[in-house]
Amino acid sequence: MDLPFIKVENISYSYKGDGGVGVPVIKELSLEIREGEFVAVLGHNGSGKSTLAKLLNMIFSPQSGKIYIDGKDITAPDMTDDDVFALRKTVGMVFQNPDNQLVATIVEDDVAFGPENLSVPSEEIRKRVDEALRAVGMTKYAHHEPHRLSGGQKQRVAIAGIIAMLPKCIIFDESTAMLDPIGRREVMQTIKMLNEKMGITVIMITHYMDEAAMAGRIVVLDEGRIALDGKPSEVFEREELLRSMGLDVPQCAAIIHRLREAGVALKGDCTTPEKCAELIGRALGGEGRDV
Amino acid sequence: MSEISVENVSFFHGKGTPYEIKALDGVTLNIVPNTITGIIGHTGSGKSTLVELFNGILKPAEGRVLLDGADIWAKPKEIRNVRFRVGLVMQYPESQLFEETIRQDIAFGPRNMGLSEQEIEERVIEAAGFVGLGKDMLDKSPFDLSGGQKRRAAIAGIIAMRPDVLILDEPAAGLDPAGREAIFSNIMEYRKNSGSTVVIVSHSMEDMARYCDRVMVMSEGKLIMNGTRDEVFSKPERLAEAGLDIPQITKLMLLLRERGIEVDTGVYTSERAYEELIRLFKKDTAQSR
Repeated sequence: MDLPFIKVENISYSYKGDGGVGVPVIKELSLEIREGEFVAVLGHNGSGKSTLAKLLNMIFSPQSGKIYIDGKDITAPDMTDDDVFALRKTVGMVFQNPDNQLVATIVEDDVAFGPENLSVPSEEIRKRVDEALRAVGMTKYAHHEPHRLSGGQKQRVAIAGIIAMLPKCIIFDESTAMLDPIGRREVMQTIKMLNEKMGITVIMITHYMDEAAMAGRIVVLDEGRIALDGKPSEVFEREELLRSMGLDVPQCAAIIHRLREAGVALKGDCTTPEKCAELIGRALGGEGRDV
Repeated sequence: MSEISVENVSFFHGKGTPYEIKALDGVTLNIVPNTITGIIGHTGSGKSTLVELFNGILKPAEGRVLLDGADIWAKPKEIRNVRFRVGLVMQYPESQLFEETIRQDIAFGPRNMGLSEQEIEERVIEAAGFVGLGKDMLDKSPFDLSGGQKRRAAIAGIIAMRPDVLILDEPAAGLDPAGREAIFSNIMEYRKNSGSTVVIVSHSMEDMARYCDRVMVMSEGKLIMNGTRDEVFSKPERLAEAGLDIPQITKLMLLLRERGIEVDTGVYTSERAYEELIRLFKKDTAQSR
């Protein structure tokens, strides 16, 4: 069977609410993600995006529908604990709070925790830990205590711990939400590197529109369903729809939209300040003008 | 109207240990009453330490903290009264909710002030109203609320003490755009109605640009910029030097300047950016005719 890396087929999921009444969070949702993609997932609080992430990692199981990951039906009733274990090795997850994810007292021990649990031979663990720390730029902190690191550094250690398990895909569940601008930048650069240099499939849940603009594709969830799915340049064109769903567009994209409404001819992608400067520069500079 | 000022204040974390850090280094400033003052700076710049000095949670190692001209540490036993007048909402305040119901949690501060039950009840309802929590929410457990609602309940707990100065450390951190908007409009509404002084600590330059009258920039324990919003944001290069994320539109203006386009780089609101760009395009059209 020729399947995309992740195929979600018509899944639904409800939480148990007051008095055992189900509160639907994911409603008949279908989604395909190819190997090597960088997908940002946007949606307001309660739109179902974190639930979707937890379904992909088998922390939750859907009440109906199918999820295939890496050619395997993870919703099959005959999934064993070993299968779940194997899945979590393939699809790693980095959470929001940098203080909740580190378990060891020394950075390199923390990174080794995952492969140790997978019974990887010790020489191999040594190699993986060193490589993972190098990949996230934390080699010189290998012998530090995690609690003395900055938030951005802690998240990079958490990412290294996932990389050491050699995953094919990593899900980031608002992993920059509690970081300062410098920490956010460090983590975003690391995420881009994982995707571009290491070929890891990235699913990134975020509230920040400028972070989503860095992905190759944006999926917008609203009320448990997919409301928009496309390239950042396509998704951020739908300013009114996004605002009606409690979301936003990057500040510079909003400015370009207003200028267009006022009749200024500005064609092209306006999702980052760099791209906007290019558009405006071209329009004012004479080259390639459409006026 | 209460006025906070600090004179030549220094503070150390872990004093006397190998990990001693000078968090504040000779800071002198004055919070202008009846304004919204924003304090920005990257992690470790000393901004949270600074606001914890304002209401006496921390005591300066050197220098004085003054409330209406009086040293708040002159009578250390009365420091509690300072905390009733200067309310501090810490980062992620929802983690500090501990009572069985939201009502009891909001009532905790006023009850410690020794107010009558009737007065407490009035203040709880008023404070809950300010943050948009209806009466039907008051008897719920904090566990039954969403993250944004919990945050608002925690803010109401401070507002219920009717402080003269309300300080909020990263009030919108971790919330989605609609949640951020809701928190800030609550704060604006509260200020309008109470006339109190508000201090907001934030990483978000966009939020600062939108809501604050005055802005202070901290870097490595020192106050490096202090002025009206216009004064501070008209120097984006200095903000970038301090390791801060300048607003996206300010960045756009700087990039245009680099391309040799004559634009005002002191632009920090969408409205001004639009006016500035439309002006350019109109001028350009006029010239090419």
